[in-house]
Amino acid sequence: MAASVCRVGSTVGRALVKNRSPILLSLRRGQASVSYAQSLVGAPETRLTALDNGLRIASEETGHATCTVGLWIDAGSRYESEKNNGAGFFLEHMAFKGTKKHPQTALEQQVESIGAQLSAYTSREHTAYYMKALAKDLPKAVELLSEVVQNCSLSEEEIEQQRSVVLRELEEVEGNLQEVCLDLLYATAFQGTPLGHSILGPSSNARILSRQDLVEYISSHYKAPRMVLAAAGGVSHNELVSLAKTHFSGMSFEYEGDAIPVLSPCRFTGSEICMRDDAMPLAHVAIAVEGASTASPDIIPLMVANCIIGSYDITYGGGKHLSSRLARLAVEQNLCHSFQAFHSSYSDTGLLGIYFVTDKHHIEDMMHWSQNAWMNLCTTLTESDVARGKNALKASLVGQLNGTTPICDEIGRHVLSYGRRIPLAEWDARINAVTPKMVRDVCSKYIYDKCPAVSAVGPVEQLPDYNRIRSAMYWLRF
Amino acid sequence: MMSLATRCGALSPYLQATKYTANGVLFSRVAKDLVPAAGANASAGIRLAHTDIKVPDFSDYRRPEVLDPHKSSRESGDGRKAFSYLITGATSVVGVYAAKTVVSQFVSSMSASADVLALSKIEIKLNEIPEGKNITFKWRGKPLFVRHRSEKEIAVEVAVNLGELRDPQHDNDRVLNPKWMIVIGVCTHLGCVPIANAGDFGGYYCPCHGSHYDASGRIRKGPAPLNLEVPFYEFPDDDTVIVG
Repeated sequence: MAASVCRVGSTVGRALVKNRSPILLSLRRGQASVSYAQSLVGAPETRLTALDNGLRIASEETGHATCTVGLWIDAGSRYESEKNNGAGFFLEHMAFKGTKKHPQTALEQQVESIGAQLSAYTSREHTAYYMKALAKDLPKAVELLSEVVQNCSLSEEEIEQQRSVVLRELEEVEGNLQEVCLDLLYATAFQGTPLGHSILGPSSNARILSRQDLVEYISSHYKAPRMVLAAAGGVSHNELVSLAKTHFSGMSFEYEGDAIPVLSPCRFTGSEICMRDDAMPLAHVAIAVEGASTASPDIIPLMVANCIIGSYDITYGGGKHLSSRLARLAVEQNLCHSFQAFHSSYSDTGLLGIYFVTDKHHIEDMMHWSQNAWMNLCTTLTESDVARGKNALKASLVGQLNGTTPICDEIGRHVLSYGRRIPLAEWDARINAVTPKMVRDVCSKYIYDKCPAVSAVGPVEQLPDYNRIRSAMYWLRF
Repeated sequence: MMSLATRCGALSPYLQATKYTANGVLFSRVAKDLVPAAGANASAGIRLAHTDIKVPDFSDYRRPEVLDPHKSSRESGDGRKAFSYLITGATSVVGVYAAKTVVSQFVSSMSASADVLALSKIEIKLNEIPEGKNITFKWRGKPLFVRHRSEKEIAVEVAVNLGELRDPQHDNDRVLNPKWMIVIGVCTHLGCVPIANAGDFGGYYCPCHGSHYDASGRIRKGPAPLNLEVPFYEFPDDDTVIVG
């Protein structure tokens, strides 16, 4: 299926034109039409409704000529057991192989003919099926989505064929060392718990998952109260609600045997896993501590902290004038090829860490300076660092909403995690409230003298012993 | 920030479908070929995917608070750390003390040995010393005078006016038991050994430069500046004295 989408290039300014008066525009010809503060306040509102069966519908009308509409579901690898780990991922493969009403070619035809793009992703706690189409094709898009999610045909023959595709994909992902390193990080950090499962599932499961398993997965997890129909673009909320009523009213909201799957907390274990292979050219190392959950108030200071550490890639042109201290050190001492600070948060826990790629002679130094950066966050952080971090965070939050798809994705995820969309103005206010002391305290709470989880792939002989890494999580001088 | 979903880096499935339907037969064959190899002997060494790596179950080594995988480990964290640090701290204190003991034992092995220390004290039987007599003993390489004084001598010494003495000391300050006067027989002038029962004051006389000491060992006439030195001694019973 071709991936061509005819989306008319549309900018944020376009959306805001509707809210600004023409006089103001003409006075400011040649300058930015709105200030940051005005744009925050003037951002279109995300409207939220719920159907009787519990399905929530959320949309933001941005005025684009295209739209992204999709279903975000509270299901993911965290809901799977050892036996059916990989079912969600397998199901994602099966989703576009035909529905009861449209066999595969017919489905492809339908999507192609309106020039749309149908995609899906599975993560640890969320699954999403979404479609990017012209705004006027919203009804067709919703209809196709409802087919795909509710009436997937799951034919035996397709399942067998997709089996080999999944196995092939598993083989291929071995080459993506970032994925391997981070999957191993989760496997060791949350060992023995469902969060330790990889999204792809083990190859043994890929070989034995049956139609029955997939059907069971759908019937246990694809329930209306756990789904959100989200849309962004040139969509009208009322139209969307009526479409949802037409197509999704039949979505089940009852569980077999009243067995509602409840997520139990996942134990974090400070631990280490090394996949040493001296034949690889570069080492991929990740170190993480248990982080904050999505709804925790500590999220904002932690996000600011991560922006202070920042990220770096050997292609960055800033050299020793980069704002992140760790990046400057990386350039001056040639410490790494790239690094990034990350924070993945889930409903009751999270993983806050630093991932870096380096050659085999600089692993020890890079680890030392990364942990040094963490210690700096906990102890000696300054006002200017925090100001810079706050600005970087605000910029990235706004910057990543550059299109209907990221906006729709954010709507879907937010409604699942928070029950509402958190508007940019609120993010901005909460970020402004962050002080250096708050960042230091929050970072100390999560990082200082805590046992980290470490995962390393490649020529990792130089990686310090775990006890040394653990000792670097505190400073005797404090 | 990796705030978006972590999905495997591959393209979306339907894009791949066109690539793989043509090769579907090939890959399913490949998959079948791989099955026996991995199934027959798991340790023979092909691992098909990193997702097949299973982290072993470390329950045998876990502390009780973190045995349950469905309970967050955050709450028990402080308690576990406190325990570890307490044990470490206590062990270090004990260790430092043990180290100090060992080191000081080795260092003190270089100090005086027992036979040398034994020479530092002398035990003297007093009933063998007749009255009026002064016996000389060798003690710590120096002569030690033990004089059994008569009542008359004691009375004389006690009555001496301190104003006339170069080094004023009352007799009571120089003896524990007035009957026995114990001093080191080294002249305080230039170190010769005074002669007992000689001199003008009924005590000692140093022949080198003519210093006269009395029966209390105090300098009365001559060049010596100080009285004869009185060592530390004690009487464990009436008939013995231990000097040193």
